[in-house]
Amino acid sequence: MKEKNSLLLKRQREVRNAAFIFLLPIAILMTIYVFYPIVDTFITSLYKWNGISADKTFIGLKNWQKLMTDTNFWSAFKNNIIVMILSICIQIPIGLALATYIDFVGKKATVFKVLWFIPMLMSSVAIGFLFSYALATSGGIISTISNFFGGGNIDLLGNPKTALYTVIGVIAWQFTPFYMVYTMAAFTNISTDVFEAARIDGATRSQYFWKIAFPLLKPSLKSAAILSMVGSLKYFDLIFVMTGGGPGTSTELMATYMYKYSFSKFNMGYGSTVAAGMFILISIVSLVTMRLLNGKEEA
Amino acid sequence: MKKRTKKLIALFMATMMVGSLAGCGGSGDSSSDSAAAEESGSGDSKEIVFWNIGTEEVDKAIYDKAIENFNSNTESGYTVSSVPVQNDNYKEKLVIAMSSGECPDMYISWSGGPMNEYIDSGYAQPITELFNNSELPDRLMDAAIEQAKYKDEIYAVPYMNISISGIYYNTEIFEKYNLEVPTTISELEAVCDTLVENGITPFALANGPKWTGSMYFMNLAARYGGLEPFQEAVAGTGSFEDECFIKAGETIQNWVEKGYFPEGCNSLSEDDGQARQMLYQETAAMSLAGSWYTSMMQQDSKEFAAKMGWFAFPAADDANTDASILIGTVGDNFISFNCEGEKLEAAFECATKFSEDDQIDFMIESGKIPPIKGVDEKLSDETSKTIMQAVNNASAVQLWYDQYLPPAVASVHLDTCQEIFGLTMTPEEAAKQFQQAMEEYNADKAE
Repeated sequence: MKEKNSLLLKRQREVRNAAFIFLLPIAILMTIYVFYPIVDTFITSLYKWNGISADKTFIGLKNWQKLMTDTNFWSAFKNNIIVMILSICIQIPIGLALATYIDFVGKKATVFKVLWFIPMLMSSVAIGFLFSYALATSGGIISTISNFFGGGNIDLLGNPKTALYTVIGVIAWQFTPFYMVYTMAAFTNISTDVFEAARIDGATRSQYFWKIAFPLLKPSLKSAAILSMVGSLKYFDLIFVMTGGGPGTSTELMATYMYKYSFSKFNMGYGSTVAAGMFILISIVSLVTMRLLNGKEEA
Repeated sequence: MKKRTKKLIALFMATMMVGSLAGCGGSGDSSSDSAAAEESGSGDSKEIVFWNIGTEEVDKAIYDKAIENFNSNTESGYTVSSVPVQNDNYKEKLVIAMSSGECPDMYISWSGGPMNEYIDSGYAQPITELFNNSELPDRLMDAAIEQAKYKDEIYAVPYMNISISGIYYNTEIFEKYNLEVPTTISELEAVCDTLVENGITPFALANGPKWTGSMYFMNLAARYGGLEPFQEAVAGTGSFEDECFIKAGETIQNWVEKGYFPEGCNSLSEDDGQARQMLYQETAAMSLAGSWYTSMMQQDSKEFAAKMGWFAFPAADDANTDASILIGTVGDNFISFNCEGEKLEAAFECATKFSEDDQIDFMIESGKIPPIKGVDEKLSDETSKTIMQAVNNASAVQLWYDQYLPPAVASVHLDTCQEIFGLTMTPEEAAKQFQQAMEEYNADKAE
């Protein structure tokens, strides 16, 4: 009895040691590249610092006071929310539709699978340049087509009213394939038995999709929504490449705003405050949505 | 419970991903790092790292020639290695390098506000003594040296180009419609009206990067009110809500409405050459641009460059201002030094290579106007000669606002100026924000 117990303890200790060793590399990496920068961002947010000089001045919560009343920051946050809502509403349904099509058609659809995945393989900067050329008023595709039919130049990116929505469209073009692949993977998790059983029971394809496949896909779609949400709230690259936050401040997002302060305006202190503010806001929004999405199950 | 922990971990990871993005901003503990930078700067390494923006011809060839000249002839034992960085990202990269203690030993800047920030932060050494003991004071133009000074010390070596904003125009198009080079703003407007009637865009402008549109604003403001309103506004005794700035904004909006600029100019990119494209396709007849356009156009097409003429921004009709004032920079690029002792001497020696005779000849051949004394005698290109004449006659050269002003104020100016072009902000609102940013900066500095 006693020996058996010590064997159990030994096993447990070994498992613990193995776990420790396996987790160590990622724990070190996380500490250096994730935890430390976050803590440092919060600390820097309490200083007045231009980002390069050796002397930082401690100014307490002054940056935070400024952030609270900074209308530009809150309008950037509003833009982020618009990007978030539209990203979820556009990317996931289209991704789901494409995946469903591929799943239903089977092997014949491989060519579409490859074609539709291409946008995801391109780098954001390349996509940004590609679309700035396509949307340019001097010989871009859209303006040329419009001119051909007798309309004037269409300036989507230069107009503050349409710029944000145009970029959201491009973001959707880039990321929809990701959600397509994501849902395709979820589809493969559904056993063919289920499909066959439904067919034998006389279900049509649309009945199968709405009554059986869709409910089974729901958990994956939920996590897709969370991914998309966090992604949109911290979005940076395409906006930076295509509009740089302009015209004016019409496409300014929190991340581009942070960048502007930290690097263009030489105000690393306030830039860090914006970054820390972003961190807090995104955490709150994520928490609330998770609660809402999972509320039913936990109740 | 287990599921819950899993979810919590998932949430945690998700937020951490965000944090890691945000974290980029605040990394690097400067006090210890910059000390380390100085150490490595004056350390044993015999390599001098030189950051510049010579990524494309002809600039690349100019840098290579001077650096090659130094490396093969120097007796200092040091070698310079050039690190060309894309112009668009150069300033940001430099800031990141400085904040992480990796500041290069030599680097270029455009002087003005950002250079002063680098100096204040201890990343540029004064070179007054070295400078005065060298041949440079005899070689370089006084106006250029003036621009390299900060608080009565010389901190940089000007070398590249005299870059003055002026209007390039297509002489063939002007001949075709019997147009004369305008001398007043109303004459310029008459020229533009004729061009618009004939379906040609008067000005090629790609205002995506914002500083391109700012040139129109600066020139108009200087014509309407001279330089005093600007100087006073910066010093805090005047205001950017002065009449001349508002009038400049109003004129721009008037021109936008009359179709003087390409539609959607706010989304066109200057770095991709979209403005020059319009000139080349001859859908636009003029462009207010820096004189670096001369060498750029020659590089793109010698044939086309020969067609282009140049005139300074025309005088205001009723204002009694000095119409010889130019907006631009004498030198354009300035080399600063972040090293000490022997290494600094070697780096400085390398910088002097940029104004040696055969280097100057090469630069002039490439369409540049180096800021050296007597450069006008060496020029053969017609456009460059005209520009140099304007520079010699100018009573003053105002450095670009976005270079001269502290970065925090400059970016507000650029943003609001772009909105003026987009008709999304009135000149009064723009002026108010501009002034507010300046006041905030001055108040902040006084603290």
